[in-house]
Amino acid sequence: MIATPDQRLDALRGPAPRMHHNARTLAALENNPRCMLRAVLDASGSDKAAIAAHTGYQAPFGQSSFALARGNVFETMVKANGCAELLRVLRETLQLTLPEVGYQDLNDVGGDGRAESRHARTTHLLTAAARGHGSDTLYDHPMLRLVVGGHPVFLEPDLVAFRVDDRFHVVEIKSFPIVDDQAAPAQVRAATTHACAYIIALRAMLAASGIGPESVSDTIVLIAPKDFTNRPTGAFVDARKQVATLTRQLERIQRIGDLVELLPEGLTFDLAADDTGRPQRPAQELAEALDQVPATYYPECLNHCEMAFYCRSRARADGSLDVLGSAVREQLGGVDTVTMALGLARGTLTPNDDQVEMAVALRHAARLRVELHNSPGAAGAAS
Amino acid sequence: MSDPLDALEENIATLRRAIRDAATAGDSIRLDELRARLRRAERAWSALVDTDDPSTAPATAERMDPPSSAPVSRGAMLPAREHAHRALMLLQTPAAPKLIVNVHEAFFPGELSASKMSSLRRDEERSYRAAPGARPYYLCPALTYDLLSPARALVTISTWRLEQRIIGPLSPRVDFLTGAIRIAEAIRGSIDSPDTEASPTAWRLLWRFAVNIPGATSTKPAADVGTTDPNQVIDAARAELDVHADTDHATRAESARRARKQLSDVQQLFGASLRDVRHRQAEA
Repeated sequence: MIATPDQRLDALRGPAPRMHHNARTLAALENNPRCMLRAVLDASGSDKAAIAAHTGYQAPFGQSSFALARGNVFETMVKANGCAELLRVLRETLQLTLPEVGYQDLNDVGGDGRAESRHARTTHLLTAAARGHGSDTLYDHPMLRLVVGGHPVFLEPDLVAFRVDDRFHVVEIKSFPIVDDQAAPAQVRAATTHACAYIIALRAMLAASGIGPESVSDTIVLIAPKDFTNRPTGAFVDARKQVATLTRQLERIQRIGDLVELLPEGLTFDLAADDTGRPQRPAQELAEALDQVPATYYPECLNHCEMAFYCRSRARADGSLDVLGSAVREQLGGVDTVTMALGLARGTLTPNDDQVEMAVALRHAARLRVELHNSPGAAGAAS
Repeated sequence: MSDPLDALEENIATLRRAIRDAATAGDSIRLDELRARLRRAERAWSALVDTDDPSTAPATAERMDPPSSAPVSRGAMLPAREHAHRALMLLQTPAAPKLIVNVHEAFFPGELSASKMSSLRRDEERSYRAAPGARPYYLCPALTYDLLSPARALVTISTWRLEQRIIGPLSPRVDFLTGAIRIAEAIRGSIDSPDTEASPTAWRLLWRFAVNIPGATSTKPAADVGTTDPNQVIDAARAELDVHADTDHATRAESARRARKQLSDVQQLFGASLRDVRHRQAEA
């Protein structure tokens, strides 16, 4: 009975090797938990990038190499010279005392960079620290492990700080600026989501040694450039809500079996790759298979899901309002599609009782737009 | 400072014995080769004995070269490893390639790029293994205190004591503070001497250290690059150093003892691989 969903998931993936969850797919899980297509593809370990490419919706660029390089440069700068900048910031935010400077480099274990050995060492050191053996404070790139849907995922926070006699804090080093104590909310949210996965993984690791979840703080420390300089500053971000959401979503993954039950028998996303790894399956057939699983598209999906362009084209074809983002969607409550919204605005559709107010607003907006278009000075700005 | 000298002397003795054997055996090709190696080792030995004096501040020493020497001062044409060596001798601590480049730019003439530094590190071990002790010093990695494996991206000089080359949990901070003191001293030295002047890069480097040491910069909000006081930096760094120094020294000394007992000469310089570590643990 337990093996059945797993077998179904393997069948969905085909013979290709399983792709593992990573911080990005976990972020997607937290951001768009309702999307069934994403849930099924991630749970089956299918290669979303390859599937998207084969259906003709390859993400035109992956993660920006410039953004990655900038992020790495900033992180290196913060940690340079014995974490000098970082210590200054942490002394300000976490009130670290002078003796708390002990540093453990977990980027490799004696030149061995494999995730397994790093994880073993991380476990050893952090558990000892939680038990009060060891006086170290900064753990650079620890390797954590989280079991998602029965499969291990390795996660690597930028840094975990341990305040003596207190708690672990996950530290995220990000290169977007904090200007006048404000940072871009979307980016803070993305950083927090990553950090949540780390908090959960850290708690799971300590729980295995019988150490309670209170030893890991729900508050993450965000280190980012201050204003328009390159010097780091620190801020606390409360992650309680997101930790709770992600925990709940992770528990739901265990119930993926229920989801899979709903799928038609014989459905597969197998690319039928030949020996050279070139997909042989007709793209049309693959697209039909994908269309059998409902997807929930939001513009935010473009940030974290490889299938986003595929889903966007589908949502556009259906005239779904999701394409326009959650703000528009909430404004137009009760209206489902772009066609319906346009129909109401033009007065070609008769609104039902729920839509009367909305229809008035839409017609008003349409009238304003026409007026703007007819006044020559503003036409350029309005279009 | 005695380790590499001891190693060299041992090496010289071995070579002399080998030359005697080769002479007895009448193997003239081998004899020539061994003689060449012996000459190299002896040159290295005398170079080491002569240069092994870190007490003179390298910054001022370098700049007080007779002005009659070539206008592009003497250091400019040196190979990259000599540049790195000078920067490290100024710092007296294990340092990341980037810091070495920064210190070099701040205090010494000539070009040294980060890319050169990374190829250097590979070459040094190869060169040592090909002819141990043929050079007066080698640039080698710092060693981690627990596994005695090479520490990531930290360069040291083979002539330093093992204690100086081992990185414990507190050592990154201790080395940072020591480095700050050394840089401040070098700047103070160049202020005191009439014919030299610390470069703006040097002041900037000092400022970057100072802002991360509690009490090292003036509390006035206008505190900027030019207003850093070397004496204040030294005092502040010493004050924090006092907090960490004893614990750090104990860790390093203990590890160094272990390294001398467990590691071969090559491993003491270039670190033990993880396989060696496992082997040692299995034996223990």
